[in-house]
Amino acid sequence: MARKKPRSSFFSFLQSPLVRWLLIGLGLALSVGLLLFTLFLVKLDGDVRTRFAGVRWVLPAQVYAAPLEVYPGASLSLAQLRHELDRLGYRAGDDLTGPGTYVPTKGSLRIDTRAFAFWDAAQPEQRIEVQGDDKGIGGLRVMGSDKTLDLLRFDPMLIGSIYPSHSGEDRVLVKLSEVPPLLPQTLILVEDHDFYSHGGVSLRGILRAAFANVRAGHTVQGASTLTQQLIKNLFLSNERTAKRKITEASMAILLERHVSKDEILEAYLNEVDLGQDGPRAVHGFGLASQYYFNKPLNELQPHEIAMLVAIVKGPSQYNPRRAVKLVTERRNLVLKMMADAGNITPDEYQAAIQRPLGVTPGGGGGAARYPAFVDLVRKQLAGLYQEQDLTSEGLRIFTTLDPHVQEVLENRITEDVPELEKSRRMVEGTLQGAGVVTSVEGGEVLAVVGGRDARYAGFNRAIDTRRPIGSLAKPFTYLTALQQPDRFNLETPLDDSPVDLKLPNGQIWSPKNYDRQLHGSVPLYMALAKSYNLATVHLGLDVGVGKVKQTFAAAGFDDVPELPSIFLGAVDMAPLDVAQIYSTIASSGYLTPLLTIRAVLTKDGQPLNRYAFKLKHTLPEGPVYLTTWAMRKVIELGTGHWATTVLPPGQIYAGKTGTTEDLRDSWFAGFGGDRVAVIWVGRDDNKPTGFEGATGALRIWGKLIRDLNAKGIEPLAPADVDEVAIDPASGLRADPGCGETVTVPFIRAAEPQQYAPCADQSKSTPLNWIKSIFK
Amino acid sequence: MSLRSSGLRRMAAAMAVAGVLLSGCATEEGQSSSTGGVTTNAPPLPSPGTTVPGVGTYIPPTATQPPLTTQSYPHTIQDTNASKAVLSLYKQAQDARAAGHADQAEALLERALHIESRNPFVWQALAGAHMDLSQPDQAESAAQKSTSLARGNPYIEAGNWRLIASARQARGDAGGAVQAQARADEIARALSTN
Repeated sequence: MARKKPRSSFFSFLQSPLVRWLLIGLGLALSVGLLLFTLFLVKLDGDVRTRFAGVRWVLPAQVYAAPLEVYPGASLSLAQLRHELDRLGYRAGDDLTGPGTYVPTKGSLRIDTRAFAFWDAAQPEQRIEVQGDDKGIGGLRVMGSDKTLDLLRFDPMLIGSIYPSHSGEDRVLVKLSEVPPLLPQTLILVEDHDFYSHGGVSLRGILRAAFANVRAGHTVQGASTLTQQLIKNLFLSNERTAKRKITEASMAILLERHVSKDEILEAYLNEVDLGQDGPRAVHGFGLASQYYFNKPLNELQPHEIAMLVAIVKGPSQYNPRRAVKLVTERRNLVLKMMADAGNITPDEYQAAIQRPLGVTPGGGGGAARYPAFVDLVRKQLAGLYQEQDLTSEGLRIFTTLDPHVQEVLENRITEDVPELEKSRRMVEGTLQGAGVVTSVEGGEVLAVVGGRDARYAGFNRAIDTRRPIGSLAKPFTYLTALQQPDRFNLETPLDDSPVDLKLPNGQIWSPKNYDRQLHGSVPLYMALAKSYNLATVHLGLDVGVGKVKQTFAAAGFDDVPELPSIFLGAVDMAPLDVAQIYSTIASSGYLTPLLTIRAVLTKDGQPLNRYAFKLKHTLPEGPVYLTTWAMRKVIELGTGHWATTVLPPGQIYAGKTGTTEDLRDSWFAGFGGDRVAVIWVGRDDNKPTGFEGATGALRIWGKLIRDLNAKGIEPLAPADVDEVAIDPASGLRADPGCGETVTVPFIRAAEPQQYAPCADQSKSTPLNWIKSIFK
Repeated sequence: MSLRSSGLRRMAAAMAVAGVLLSGCATEEGQSSSTGGVTTNAPPLPSPGTTVPGVGTYIPPTATQPPLTTQSYPHTIQDTNASKAVLSLYKQAQDARAAGHADQAEALLERALHIESRNPFVWQALAGAHMDLSQPDQAESAAQKSTSLARGNPYIEAGNWRLIASARQARGDAGGAVQAQARADEIARALSTN
């Protein structure tokens, strides 16, 4: 009995009604709790499944430059080609070690090209020897064979992306199968050692981290698995609460039940935050590779992979462009782990830790290189596609940007604008400049610079600044007149005398010549070459404002007021607009709407749209030829004459200076055989600069055309134009009796009929000619 | 472009003129000396009914046919000194067109124009690709451009007029088509009688 007493007392304790109710209550609470937790898990499970399945990567459109094409006879020196390869992220070495490498030798470059899926064809990786010298390309040979190539197209430079403005999220999607295996290996080694064995949460990892943290006295190691990190990045906030931790761990375990390890890893590789580039957030290793190393992920070397894995820990703290020492230390730690694990050899380890980080300077990749051009692309795309499609569908946009032309234009603006500023002792940073270069045929925009700091993605003066164009407008008045060959030709005497015009508001407008002189009667072409205002106004009034406005429209710009002041350039235009109207003259009267986008592909490489050359014959060739001839005189003997000091001798270029009131804007627009270039120099506050077109913009333009090695104009008179010998003194027909003659083009049947006084044989016949010569 | 006549030049001119006289084919003063062979000579006319903005009162002069000479013009791009790269792209474009991929042909020809932007054969082929793509306006413009750059080559010009005729036909401009075809035939006749 005594033995049973405690038991009976225990039972009696249990049997006490209060305790029994308490136990029942506890049991119920546990059951309810368990039920609720189960319900929570079930809901979370559903959530995880649908949300992960519904993860749609934000894939900003990728913007590419025009590809570099190399062919025998191309006027590209080997040194230039090498420079272009370097800019594409190709690496020079003693051996070809894979795509994106080259070996320089005497008289050739051996190149292992990258495969690239162009919209028209997929181009495989190739090993090519490019022979050449300092003048140009000699030949292209396929290595290891006798085969030669007629043409080689390189993978185009990635110059930017159209990411969503609200999140700034930018990425280049990669597939696990295309990633160099060393990357996931290293990532797992450093971030989640048990990745392939744990079920979403790692107890060993937690213990290991706790031990390490206790030993160090502060947090040195996180215990989150890659799965947990992914869950947090994809679905959860950054708050550090127990609730979030529990949700994160639960979701991680659930996710592992539904999705394979490889899928989780691939998602992680594309999601992880690896840096911030101004408003742009660099997501995923694919973009990070471009952003930090300017090359695709599959070309990364061990020390580069180690660096990317090193900064996963915290890319703002471990910023490779700022915290070089900190990042190098952590990279070397990662390299040590790689060597200890046998993922790299001891030799590779020793070599790798000696290397600098090797990140490209500046914004990195091409992405931040050409803000003004990408801005133009973005504006043009906005009219063609939905914002949502541009920022999330991974479209691939192929543009017309020519990296070489862009570089030359940038160099000119960034070097010459400060120099001009200095020459006038202006306050540093007050003078601005912008420029546009396009191709003559096809109207492709090859380069755009929106300000003296070409990297600064701010105000784009090449597109957004509309300023009066001054005398750049004059050729359109002359072209209008020359379309009336029965009334005007290049020798027609114009009256350079004062003129008073009554404006619609009742005021009298009395334009003056720039030199404040009156030049009397001047030949039409000379009035343009010397940019005489009064002669131009007389001519414009004669042909009529409406007709001049029509000529502007036919050249590609119709926002022109119908006022006589347009003869002298009271028309507001951006440099890009000027490039449009000058390119119509440069291409013999064919209006080609300027192109920046050539093709748009889906992320899988399916062609979506292509933008072909579009041209329309809007201005008659003969009068355009005559106008161009007068614009050649601008450089030969007129206001643009300074250019002859820098342009290659024997080459023909045409252009026009432009200066606005009180020297606020200095312009030069002109062209050769293959390039149209427009330069503007002025101030953002629109105050006077002290520069005329000839002393400001022309200086930049001349050197630009020289540096571009732009072809000269090939003077090919249209079929309806005849070239006639003229006596320059009288502007009348010359014959061999005249001493000095000038050959001037005229529209056929509209040549001057009258002979000059020097032509004593006014009824010249071949026989009289002979007589005159032997007289 | 000023020609400064010196005494020496005068002598040379005299000799040249004498040569012309002796050869018995003196040309009238002022006649075009730049055109050599059979040419249509006038720039491609916009078809009647097409309005060209901005053209003032300019009316292209009527064609004056210069005498036929034996100057030989290249019939095809292969007869020219076009670069290998351009020839290769041109050939690929021809193949693409033949295979029904006119859009690909268009892109290849545009690449060729990056290399030789003033090659009239390439512009002509581009006009053909535009026709395949049912873009008659673009076809006509490209054919006009080709003529502008053809330096009077009658083979190119005849081909361009034929293209323009079919472009106008496709646009429903029967009158313009007949006019263009007549120009093509005229050149063809002149060539066959040469």
